[in-house]
Amino acid sequence: MEKEEGMSITTSGHAVVGTPQRPLRRGRDNSILGGVCGGFATRLGIKERNIRIMFSLLTLVFGFGVLVYMTFWLVLTRSGEETSIIQGIFQNRREAQVVLVAFIGTLILLVALQTTGVDTTGGFAWPLVLASFAFFAVWRGASSDERAHLTELLNSAPLIGGVSATNRRGIVLRVLAGIALMFFGLHTLDSIGGVWGAAAPALFGTVILVVGLLVLLAPWWLQNVRELTSERRERVRVEERARMVAHLHDSVLQTLTLIERAAGNESDVVRLARNQERELRQWLFSPDLVANGSTSFVGLVGAIEHDIENDYGVKVELVTVGDCVPDDKVTALVAAGREAAINAAKWSESASISIFAEVEQTSVSLFVRDRGVGFDLDAIPADRQGIALSIRQRMAHVGGDVTIDTAIGSGTEVQLVLARQG
Amino acid sequence: MTDSPRPRVFLVDDHELIRAGIRAEIAEAVDIIGEADEVAAAVEMIVERLPDVVLLDVHMPAGGGQAVLKGVSEANVCVRFLALSVSDAANDVISVIRAGARGYVTKNISGPDLVDAIYRIAAGDVVFSPRLAGFVLDAFSTGAADQANQPMVDPELDQLTQRERQVLRLIARGYSYKDIAKELTISTKTVESHVSSVLRKLQLSSRYQLSNWATERNLN
Repeated sequence: MEKEEGMSITTSGHAVVGTPQRPLRRGRDNSILGGVCGGFATRLGIKERNIRIMFSLLTLVFGFGVLVYMTFWLVLTRSGEETSIIQGIFQNRREAQVVLVAFIGTLILLVALQTTGVDTTGGFAWPLVLASFAFFAVWRGASSDERAHLTELLNSAPLIGGVSATNRRGIVLRVLAGIALMFFGLHTLDSIGGVWGAAAPALFGTVILVVGLLVLLAPWWLQNVRELTSERRERVRVEERARMVAHLHDSVLQTLTLIERAAGNESDVVRLARNQERELRQWLFSPDLVANGSTSFVGLVGAIEHDIENDYGVKVELVTVGDCVPDDKVTALVAAGREAAINAAKWSESASISIFAEVEQTSVSLFVRDRGVGFDLDAIPADRQGIALSIRQRMAHVGGDVTIDTAIGSGTEVQLVLARQG
Repeated sequence: MTDSPRPRVFLVDDHELIRAGIRAEIAEAVDIIGEADEVAAAVEMIVERLPDVVLLDVHMPAGGGQAVLKGVSEANVCVRFLALSVSDAANDVISVIRAGARGYVTKNISGPDLVDAIYRIAAGDVVFSPRLAGFVLDAFSTGAADQANQPMVDPELDQLTQRERQVLRLIARGYSYKDIAKELTISTKTVESHVSSVLRKLQLSSRYQLSNWATERNLN
């Protein structure tokens, strides 16, 4: 078996009708029980269903199909795994002993059955007992991954319609199947001798049998289900932790390294630390904002905060109230606000800028305020006029209002208000 | 600020480094009369020493700042708390205010601003950061959909007046109380009384958003 071919099977997985694939492996994605049928389908390039029908028909011949299936289950390697189950068993001395003892026990049982002449199910006894042994061997030798698959299978087995009992289709299917089976059972009993005749004790016996089975198996089954949920919970926890570690590694550790390197440069250190702080904060407290930053007003304004702190090293105190999906007008408002914030960062000499963004039912407003040097509105230097114009023009274009509140020595506030329909 | 007596301050934070940092920044302006790094010790010492202002870390093991607030209020003494946190999450801020803190600032506040906040708390005022003002506006926004099917238990407590709203907006825009007074042509005292009344509503209102934030925090 060439390794490369094995790999290609692992990645492709599914049977492609008409294209045989090598080597022969038990299927993983297209498996119901052990993946034998799926494996053959992939190998031969035919539909899984055909193989399954063939095996079912073979089973009718004294259970032959079951035996063949179990043999392949033991001998074939599962797609994506290194060794077959039987190889796995013989690699482990203890497992090999257990399975060997079980095999001898099975043989003795069969011989005993034969000699005492207890005719159980006719020709079916041998293949069925051997198949149960094979299943035992599969259970002992299966990889943990495959065993998890089997546990899930066993847990869902008592419920037709799958594990997801909340699924409406599953419930309907189960109820229908249950009713049909009950009718069939009652009919059979009736044909024996009338429900209230000889069948009554049989019915009674059956009920006792079912209750007995429930008493016998319910604890085991429940425990299994419970273990599965606790395992799932544990897995979620581990995944969360892994995500956390990955994030810390990707961003926080990198930033710390950068800070160490830039230790001599005060403004660089502050900028790096602030950047990291904001990012981590966002990640921790508003993860949905990170996910869809550009589709919300708050996300757009948050981007201003990010860029100003990054590019100008000025602290931005951002407060937002409400949120909306930004249309063209709101985007223009945010763009004007960005100009105002850049203006403040560049010229005001203030160490921090306050941005307040509020979405109300009838309006969207954005306030950009600094406590810096301020300026005389009537005597704006030429280099600032451009920016003031670009703010005013942007807002006039979408029918919004601009108020610039400033005086020399008392800071500046740019107020942008946009009426909103609906 | 210099005319009022130096407030006696007690520090509660489980991080030694943070305590050292705060101490260095405020020791000039206030009297630090004690420190604690865990809930039980903090409650005991606060009740014993009765500081003017407790600087309280929100996140600590064994119940955090809220446990301290609860423990001290059970002892029936009147101590004013200023909550300090690295978090800006609404549920943190609101839950600690509803537990009885009279102000909330984040730990990256500058030294002079922190001293100013301590003096204001000591004088019986309330310290609202712009962020907190934003949360309150959010929670009391009249158009909130989830409030529509929520009966207004007490209109006195569950709604903000027009003036309170104006004051909160200005705080959120970064105005100081003095700036607000000038902007609205009212006295600074009036601004303070508006903010105090908002704090009372914040603590007592049963508005859905507020109680939701508060319980969210308790579940964590």
